[in-house]
Amino acid sequence: MNNEISPPESGTLIYHLRDVIKTRESEGVAFRLNVPSLQIGQGEKIALIGESGCGKSTLLDMLSFILQPSEVGSFRFRPKHSDEKKKKKNDDESLDIKRYWDRGKQNYLGDLRRHHIGYVMQTGGLLPYLSVRDNINLSRHVLGMKNDDSVEQLAKELGIHHHLNKLPENLSTGERQRVAIGRALAHNPSIVIADEPTASVDPFAAEKIMSLFLELVEEMHITVIVASHAWQHIKRLELRRLSHHTRRSEDGSVTETVVKG
Amino acid sequence: MRPFKTLRLATRDYLHEWQMSGCFILALASVLGPMLVLFGLKFGIVGGMIDQLVQDPRNREIMPVGSGKFSAEWMTELRKRSDVEFIVPRTRSIAATIQLKSSNRSNIISMEVIPSEAGDPLLSALANGPDGLESIVLSKSAAAKLKVGVGDEISGSLVRRFKERKERAHLDLRVAAIAPADAFPREAAFTSVKLAEALEDYRDGHAVPMLGWKGSVGTKARSYPGFRLYAASIYDVANLHDGLVDLGIDVRTRAADIELVQRMDRNLSMVFWAIAIIGLVGFSLSLGASLWANVDRKSKELSVLRLVGFRTGDIMWFPMIQAIYTALFGWGLAAAIYHAASLTINDMLASQMNVGQQVCDLLPIHYMIALGLTAGSSIIAAALAGLRSAKIEPSEGLREI
Repeated sequence: MNNEISPPESGTLIYHLRDVIKTRESEGVAFRLNVPSLQIGQGEKIALIGESGCGKSTLLDMLSFILQPSEVGSFRFRPKHSDEKKKKKNDDESLDIKRYWDRGKQNYLGDLRRHHIGYVMQTGGLLPYLSVRDNINLSRHVLGMKNDDSVEQLAKELGIHHHLNKLPENLSTGERQRVAIGRALAHNPSIVIADEPTASVDPFAAEKIMSLFLELVEEMHITVIVASHAWQHIKRLELRRLSHHTRRSEDGSVTETVVKG
Repeated sequence: MRPFKTLRLATRDYLHEWQMSGCFILALASVLGPMLVLFGLKFGIVGGMIDQLVQDPRNREIMPVGSGKFSAEWMTELRKRSDVEFIVPRTRSIAATIQLKSSNRSNIISMEVIPSEAGDPLLSALANGPDGLESIVLSKSAAAKLKVGVGDEISGSLVRRFKERKERAHLDLRVAAIAPADAFPREAAFTSVKLAEALEDYRDGHAVPMLGWKGSVGTKARSYPGFRLYAASIYDVANLHDGLVDLGIDVRTRAADIELVQRMDRNLSMVFWAIAIIGLVGFSLSLGASLWANVDRKSKELSVLRLVGFRTGDIMWFPMIQAIYTALFGWGLAAAIYHAASLTINDMLASQMNVGQQVCDLLPIHYMIALGLTAGSSIIAAALAGLRSAKIEPSEGLREI
């Protein structure tokens, strides 16, 4: 609807989805998310706006490979290359995620996620037994990345460097979300997926955190997809908004959301 | 590399949640501790009692009824049987007495002579047995009456009627050992077979050159009126009994007592196994339930780990490592509880037990079995729970709350 920025050229697509459907049923009411076509280019900033329950989280979970779609026409993923070795190997082709799903290769998808995806949850998602420093460093730690000052640097930019040695339970909600953003960015992923990262924070802080988040993402040349129920305060941030349309069947038994972009 | 990371994270989580971890450890120890005490009691009391009954040589004795004529060769043959532990000939009971006198007592005390040799089950607790013609073992009551101890010299004498004259022979003896009270209740002297034979020879009017006793010299082959025979175990008694009866030798055994002991052994073992199995099942269920519940509680955190890219296998290690901690610490605490309880019980009942006997007793192997069972069932429960949480799609685990 609000496509001020046009979709990217197909050569640099990080995601390329066709006819991806997820169906869920609970207590006689079916929910269906339909993605006839979705193309997200590398370095793009995407906004997914909609009311709660319209399927935003479902789409984001599929894009981060933690939820398997019910039907897939095609689902391709092409991470950016952080080193030359991988570039040679994978340059020409994007990865066929559908195939990994079909074969139940959860561990391979986990590996992809570990290397290329950062995820910011709506709330929480921090490990209560790790300090802020270790929580941010977790995404680097699992990749065996060396300890440099990048965690400190990131914490400074996020304004939480004086909390580095505290446990998450001693932080406010807003500070915890900043830590979660830090963790999602620390390992320099190809893409960051954020599911209403500021929904639990007061609107003033929310706007601040969101701008900070998007600034960092742009600085680091990371593709980003943000879901939010409020368009207002991210309108200014020049995100491409995915179009979506929700309709309910006449007897009320099926709700379908169609996302395109 | 990642298993090590999982180990670190699981350990930090376990320490961070020390109150919760402490509860799991306490819960485990509170079930395992009493179980160990129960097993300790079964092993100590029943095991000890059964051992005592099974081991008590008097239950393994086979006594000939009346007197017969048995040769030394026949007994040598019998000794070769695997179900025979010990056999020595007896001399005639009327000739098997000796009068003893110690320097500590003025009276002469007459007591029965029991032939013995190395391996005598009644004297198995002693370092030294009777030996040669000087060294004898006194029963506890005999030693008390003579007021003598180990190593003391005593003088023995015996009387015979020879050629219409009353004669008395003397010999010097040394107390090699004193038999425990339960080995033989009456006053008696355990002597070598040779000494018992010498006493009989003297009374029969024969000469005993080794002791300088004079008398007639004859070369008649010796035969014995009876023997002291012990079966290798109580389970061999019936067979040995039947074998001797087949040879026309009438013998007496404690078969009825043995039957009673065996029945008691069986019944008590059954009762204890029933309790043990019920206890074990309860123990495994409570342990499994708490570990399962714990993994359930943690499913969101485990999903977060999957979100940052931990593999299914790594995730499963997480609850398993914590279960191992719980098993180890819980077992340690249970062992401490058991130790304190067994010390108290043994101390309370020490006066009613024989020296060295424990009411509540466990061997190191029992501790190891307890640890193995605990760790095994913990790991299985945690692995099943971990597998279940690993199978849930991470997106579901994340959105649970």
